[in-house]
Amino acid sequence: MATQTCPVRNTIIYLSDLTESGALTDPRERRICEQILNLVEEISEGAAGNGHLSAIDALMEEYLDGKGSKKTRVNGDRLKEMLSENREVFESHIATRNCPSHDCGKLAPSPCQMACPAGIDIPTYLTLIARGEDAKAIEVIRRDNPFPWVCGLICTRPCEMMCVRARIDTPVSIKFLKAFAAERAMSEGAYHNPEKKPFNGKKVCVIGAGPGGLTAAYYLALMGYKVRVIEALPVSGGMMMIGIPRYRLPREVIDREVAMIEDLGVEISYNTRFGTDITYEDLKAEGFEAFFIAIGAHKAMDLGIKGEKEFPKALEAIRFLKDVALGNHHAPGKQVVVIGGGNVAIDAARTSLRLGAGKVTIAYRRSEDQMPADIEEVEQAMEEGIEFSFLTIPKEILGSEGRITGLDCIKAELIQKEGSDRLVPVPVLGGDFILEADAVISAIGQYVDDKGMEAFDRMNWSRRGTIEVSHASMETAMPGVFAAGDAVSGPATVIEAIGGGKRAAEAIDRYFNHIPQPRMPKIPVRHHREPPVEMTAARKMTLKRPSMPMLNVDRRRTTFQQVELGYDEESVRKEAARCLRCDICRRCGKCIEICRDKMGIDALQLGYLEFDHSTETDFRTTEKKCITCGACAANCENKAIVLEEKEGRRNLKLCGTLLNSQAILYCENCRAVLPSAEYLEFIAQKTGDMVKRTQHRLLCDNCRRSLNAKINVETRPSDPK
Amino acid sequence: MSKYYLFQDTRKCIGCHACEIQCKSNKNLPKGPKPCQIIQVGPKFIGGLPKMSFIFMPCFHCENPWCVSACPTGAMQKRSADGIVFIDKDLCVGCKTCVSACPWGAPQWNPETGKVEKCDYCKDRVDKGLKPACVTTCTTGCLKFGNVEDMTQIRRVRHAESVASFENSSF
Repeated sequence: MATQTCPVRNTIIYLSDLTESGALTDPRERRICEQILNLVEEISEGAAGNGHLSAIDALMEEYLDGKGSKKTRVNGDRLKEMLSENREVFESHIATRNCPSHDCGKLAPSPCQMACPAGIDIPTYLTLIARGEDAKAIEVIRRDNPFPWVCGLICTRPCEMMCVRARIDTPVSIKFLKAFAAERAMSEGAYHNPEKKPFNGKKVCVIGAGPGGLTAAYYLALMGYKVRVIEALPVSGGMMMIGIPRYRLPREVIDREVAMIEDLGVEISYNTRFGTDITYEDLKAEGFEAFFIAIGAHKAMDLGIKGEKEFPKALEAIRFLKDVALGNHHAPGKQVVVIGGGNVAIDAARTSLRLGAGKVTIAYRRSEDQMPADIEEVEQAMEEGIEFSFLTIPKEILGSEGRITGLDCIKAELIQKEGSDRLVPVPVLGGDFILEADAVISAIGQYVDDKGMEAFDRMNWSRRGTIEVSHASMETAMPGVFAAGDAVSGPATVIEAIGGGKRAAEAIDRYFNHIPQPRMPKIPVRHHREPPVEMTAARKMTLKRPSMPMLNVDRRRTTFQQVELGYDEESVRKEAARCLRCDICRRCGKCIEICRDKMGIDALQLGYLEFDHSTETDFRTTEKKCITCGACAANCENKAIVLEEKEGRRNLKLCGTLLNSQAILYCENCRAVLPSAEYLEFIAQKTGDMVKRTQHRLLCDNCRRSLNAKINVETRPSDPK
Repeated sequence: MSKYYLFQDTRKCIGCHACEIQCKSNKNLPKGPKPCQIIQVGPKFIGGLPKMSFIFMPCFHCENPWCVSACPTGAMQKRSADGIVFIDKDLCVGCKTCVSACPWGAPQWNPETGKVEKCDYCKDRVDKGLKPACVTTCTTGCLKFGNVEDMTQIRRVRHAESVASFENSSF
């Protein structure tokens, strides 16, 4: 047995071998094994409920009750071992209806959902949005992420990186669609919180009102906990609020989604720094039994160059963005140089421009294609007139009497060094030059500010200054203390913090209920299997990802208005319908293999099914060759490809896309359904002359049998008496 | 034709369908496919009396089987040793081409497996020297299975008997 395969699938193979080999001679053992096999098969198909594992346990006990032979024991012990060793995998199959190994074909998860750090059930909500059910889509998203609107505007969208549609043309615009749905649902008053459980008497303290902290607070509040969030700033949202500029993420969006969380009874204490304004002991005394640390990474790294600490206008990007967010709207200078190549550098540069800086230059020590910032961000910055100085290493901030005059830089070249994946910039001799500036903003990274965390003395810190946790449960070494977000990962993304917050909420609930923590990270949950959106092959192929309408550049250079204006409703519905529904079709390629290699028809041009070497895909070509024989559908484990008979036509559909439609013929005698004319032609070609003798009448197989029986009787010589 | 012959003595058959049931049970088939089937023809008035026939319709194991020619995957095959036409289910992809191709309606669709079922004279039993399942439980003994040359004997004997009988004799 291969070690890589899914334990659930392995158990099925073991049990099938056992029951089919005839090794089980005792009817009692045979019955028990068959019953267990049925239950495990249901687990593997996503049809299992909560009672399945206990039913298997009971059967296992019956099997091993000592009445069987020695051989029975061996089989039973082996089976019991398989079941108990992998109990978590079995539980996860039942709870999430996803099998990450793809061995349980019906539970193979979609790549987008697996790529999402919060594990949002993307195909389901895209289908709901395509059908115009925005509120329902938001309800599905919020089971995994309480910030659909925020993420719809600023997520780094790892999902789109994995989107299978990209192998055909461009990835589905997964990110923005949820912002549209959230906005629409909010505007129609249909954005609701789910029903929360009654107060269970337990109190949890969350430190930090950022995406991680608020996500944990949301799920804990739903589970019936009393949650208090301690926030040092006067605003909620953490980095979403003070790090991301409002031309990307309007404040109102954060406020509305945070308000939804507050509606659940979550209390946020602003202007309260943990460790100074309130202590661990205070909170313990108030009855808080669990702590969730989501303090982010708010301290800027030092450049380590001369002049960095001498000038008031040598700023830290993170500090600068925070001050702007909190109301200081003064331009940092006339000529601003931002050092760094990440999203924070771009944000600082574009913010400087909007505040009135005449010239803004981003100095980055590697080349353009190596920038960690989002490509769209870089493009938008360039459109707005931000200048870039690549391969630029800052050496010294120049100036006198507290005023900056420029940034002394050295030209760099990129060199491949051993032990490093990335090209390393090294200074070029004599490549000195000066960038004129009156303000220098450094944006070269942040780290976790551990001030105030002394009370959590049994917690471990990594060498990078982050909190060490078990990534399955976000549990620190100190019992009852959990952590997630940037405080654990170092500066990362909103969606990762949300994912961590959600995991932590579940782990905290387990902690209170004395349930052991999971050993493996939780697999995303498949909430529904929505029927796919139906459309023609031509439409599925010709729908194109809409381009994002943008605010005009003059306004972008002068105001903080939202830059991306969003799609109109028609574009949103169409774009959502572009989804290929990878939660249904797991791209095993069996249909192609059958059609091309076995049937010799080769009607399916689905190059996108191949992950590494995708070839051309065209849903429209199927109808040219397909004979609607249905072999592809009969062999599709997930019923992704189906053959339907409707209104006199036989329709072949792949996840709702109509690949072919042919008229059904009927039996002349009994009107039973017969294959299409194209299909009969295929048979005629195969059977050659023979077919001519029988095809003069269009009969079904039953009528042909009866007709032949009748001919037998009629042509029989009369019976001798 | 295969070297075997499955003979049905239509005079003896009472249409009890035991052969169908035994066949399906032996092949463990769900509702639907009937590799062999008893077809009732009539009743018709013959000489003023209502008469009815039951015709046993298995696969005829043709010399040049339509189904084998039609099958695109090579699942439908003819055994060279004895001419039994059978289906290798591992190769069958469920395209139903054989179902449409056979003039006698012999290949049958199994909706549970999505593959075709077909009378193969129970070749696994035949190979062990046993009779096909249908023959073993025929209540009236009207089904007989054997080599073609042995089967002709039954008809010959019967004809001889009828020739010799006084009622039909010209004497």
